[in-house]
Amino acid sequence: MSQAVADRQETEERQTVGGRFARLMDMGDGALAFWLLLPTAVLLLAIIVYPVCRLIYTSFLSLSLTSGLPASFAGLQNYRDMFADPVFWSSFWNTVIITVVTVPGALVVGMALALIANIPFRQRWAFRLALLVPWALPLAFCGLIFAWFFQSDYGIVNDVLRRLGLPTVIWFNSYAWATVAICLTTIWKTSSFMALIILAGLQTIPRSLYEAAEIDGAGRVRQFFEITLPLLRPAIAVALIFRTITALQTFDIPYTMTRGGPGTSTVTLAMYIRQNTVDFLDLGYGSALAVAMFALSMIVTVFYLRMIRRGA
Amino acid sequence: MATVSFCDLRKSFGAIEAVKGLDLEVADREFVVLVGPSGCGKSTTLRMLAGLEGISGGEIRIGDTVVNALPPRARDIAMVFQDYALYPHKTVYDNMAFSLRVRGIAKPEIESRIREAATMLDIDKLLERKPAQLSGGQRQRVAMGRAIVRRPKVFLFDEPLSNLDAKLRGQVRAEIKKLHQMIGTTIIYVTHDQVEAMTLADRIVILRGGVIEQVGTPDEVYDTPASLFVGGFVGSPAMNFVRAKRDGEELVLDGGERMAVCDLGPRAERVGQEIVLGIRPEHFVSSGDAPARLTGTVNLVEPLGADTLVHLDVEGATVTARVTPHFRPAVGERLPLGFDPARIHLFDPDSEKAVA
Repeated sequence: MSQAVADRQETEERQTVGGRFARLMDMGDGALAFWLLLPTAVLLLAIIVYPVCRLIYTSFLSLSLTSGLPASFAGLQNYRDMFADPVFWSSFWNTVIITVVTVPGALVVGMALALIANIPFRQRWAFRLALLVPWALPLAFCGLIFAWFFQSDYGIVNDVLRRLGLPTVIWFNSYAWATVAICLTTIWKTSSFMALIILAGLQTIPRSLYEAAEIDGAGRVRQFFEITLPLLRPAIAVALIFRTITALQTFDIPYTMTRGGPGTSTVTLAMYIRQNTVDFLDLGYGSALAVAMFALSMIVTVFYLRMIRRGA
Repeated sequence: MATVSFCDLRKSFGAIEAVKGLDLEVADREFVVLVGPSGCGKSTTLRMLAGLEGISGGEIRIGDTVVNALPPRARDIAMVFQDYALYPHKTVYDNMAFSLRVRGIAKPEIESRIREAATMLDIDKLLERKPAQLSGGQRQRVAMGRAIVRRPKVFLFDEPLSNLDAKLRGQVRAEIKKLHQMIGTTIIYVTHDQVEAMTLADRIVILRGGVIEQVGTPDEVYDTPASLFVGGFVGSPAMNFVRAKRDGEELVLDGGERMAVCDLGPRAERVGQEIVLGIRPEHFVSSGDAPARLTGTVNLVEPLGADTLVHLDVEGATVTARVTPHFRPAVGERLPLGFDPARIHLFDPDSEKAVA
């Protein structure tokens, strides 16, 4: 008796589930797409669209937690202050310089590393493993390691210079040398990311293309420029987009290496935003700075996407 | 144009010997097909000739030049690859022009060679397209065009029809044959398909386990196979093999049928205690007036339109006969098949070589 009841319940459950599934299948394509995309759309609204809108809104407010005054609408005042602020401009140019130097630098080094990692040799697995190390290390950790490397008295870089008979450098006492140290560290840290993406791209190029080129008479250099480079274009574009956006947000390495010094000469945009929002609790001005960085990232992304579309 | 010669050519991959002392002379303007099952060393031999694979021993000559140590670009050869190896980012024109530009040939000369080859291959309307915008057959023709414009001494084809469907394969096969008749360059062609080999080759080289089993014209390898392997490899459906034991002046075939040894003609003297008879499916005739016959149970009938294939079970072995189109025996029927002992092939069961 109880078995019969259990069976009937199970049948009813199945029919209900089956019925729901059938109803789902009966929906039009548009309605089905809407319901499937809804959870993701809600999530994106909550964690991206709302914070961005809130950030833009805050950038029009006078909102400093240290003043004790309530938030008030300030119009474009924060933006006017920003354009008149010399530290904003120096941090903006520092960010641009780091981006312009380290992105192509990492691309060239990453390309070289990827080409080596793609050569069939016995210890290739070890080389590929070693490639992952800089990528896996936390940014702040790299900054601290390289701060020691560039330490003027007992750092390894000055030691090597000394052994080579070259003059040593007090790296963190001048803007120029500190920027060089930051850029070198950033290139070391980010080249492996570039290399991994380019290596994945290299592995999609069929070997027979190189064999055909060899029979056609092309040497290694010509093969690189006529086959490898054009076929790597999509991989390079992806690597450049990711790397440029993260370069525009550079924070950890200069923060741990120089703290923005000497003075405020190596402060980047991201460091200046943190300083204003966390140290000075000036949320209105900090938001205006963040909007500027957001705009810069968007401009670069649109530029790259257009380049990719033109090349496709 | 040039001759090609392989002298004691060897290739090892670690402990595995892929090519074991290959000797072959290819005449100028000859179309030679290397054929054999997977792993027989045919592609390795072609790649060694192209310079894409180093050699472990022996000598390769193109014309009078020993090319063992020459890089591929210095061998004056052109190769059509199995996957076509067209540069995907270049147009058809640029694919064909690439090797000429690399060699510093003047622009008007490049233009004229490409137009000539494109017209010959009927791809002159496709020159501005990229490989992704072409069908398989068109890509194949572009790959051939790229080879033709080079005007090399030797053309190499590495299973060029493998990626095409059956209909297109037949079409492109005919085009390759016509192309050879037009340009007359020496061609070395690798395939695992014996039909391709038979239809294209001036001479076929049958390889097995890194050694040559037989070299000959398509008729020679079909009519006088040198071994059991060649007999079974060439011809479709494959040759049937029936074991037989000598009993005085008679042979007792698997299945119990008997035939007189003297019916084998001059070969009768060389028949030992055991022998393998090789009978082509098309050589079976009506049993009534045949001097010898074989009886089996019909287990499958395949009507093909032009003829019918009948598969029989003879003492556990399958024997296939090609019979007239309207002959349709019933499955399960005991069917006697006649054959002419003069037309069958004899093989020594131990050495697997043909008994001549």
